[in-house]
Amino acid sequence: MLSKRLLALAALALTAPAAAKPIAFGDGYTAMYEYGAGTMQEAQAFYAPRYWYSLGAGYLRLDAADEAFSRDISYARFNYLVRRWNLPEAQGNVFAYGGLGAARSDDYDGTKVAWNGGAQADYETRRIYASLKADYQHSSAFAHRIDTLQLGLAPYLHDYGGIATWFVLQARNYTGGIYDGIESAALIRLFGARAWGSVWFEGGVTNDGTLQTMVMFNF
Amino acid sequence: MFRKFLITATLAMLAGTTFAQEARTIEMTVDGLVCAFCAQGIEKKLRKLDATDDVFVSLEHKIVAVALKGEQDISDARLSELLTEAGYTLREVKRTAEPLDTIRKRTHSS
Repeated sequence: MLSKRLLALAALALTAPAAAKPIAFGDGYTAMYEYGAGTMQEAQAFYAPRYWYSLGAGYLRLDAADEAFSRDISYARFNYLVRRWNLPEAQGNVFAYGGLGAARSDDYDGTKVAWNGGAQADYETRRIYASLKADYQHSSAFAHRIDTLQLGLAPYLHDYGGIATWFVLQARNYTGGIYDGIESAALIRLFGARAWGSVWFEGGVTNDGTLQTMVMFNF
Repeated sequence: MFRKFLITATLAMLAGTTFAQEARTIEMTVDGLVCAFCAQGIEKKLRKLDATDDVFVSLEHKIVAVALKGEQDISDARLSELLTEAGYTLREVKRTAEPLDTIRKRTHSS
């Protein structure tokens, strides 16, 4: 029932005409932590020498919903801005990323080499925001993908120096036995920036009534 | 004849001084300026320049304004290069006598 309501709101947001990007701006640092409803937790830190690429490291923790396994993946990653569209009232981006790391899990012994790859496409105006992201992790013992769709609507038009507020609907699909079905979430995002840095906070609940939150710093 | 020359020379000097005093602010219209990330990156880049005294960014008006320090200047070509390096597209450059605070007030009140 809740999923149906979320989908209806998502459709409304699309007809009514913002994203955590792996690269915020050139010569900038990004640090983020996401708690994904008990199913996934991810921490990342990146440095972008130029606006079109960044390098960094991350840690991903996955806990299968049926408690069959837990995985810890540490990785190094390269993020690349494939294409950007700068329009008078909007911006669109396509990012691609990939990296290498090590994975431990309680359903096998030892540490395995794991590679990761993914892509993100987003479109943003000051009023609406849409983002689609796919993250793939692979090792000799497992393979899984996390696909995330976010649709956002700003209740008011913010400006630089003020606090931006977004109402965000999220749908997430896990493969590889992590979660059965699509996990949806309703989130509120607050974002404030100055020349010295910015803070991003996002929090909400999933269709299972579980907390989902994210915090990000850019400086 | 000499009087005429003096008047012309004085007027020319005054005009020159006025011009130098006038164009102390650069106002740019920028495409892709929709989020605070964008503004933050651009402001950070422009503030690193020796010629920059202050920077103002308005997402609503899609403008980036730079107050120049002393007699220094930043060429249009350099501005375009800086905006491109920041990941944005410079659409228009305007040089104005309007102080940065006036632009700030004008854009906030409209």
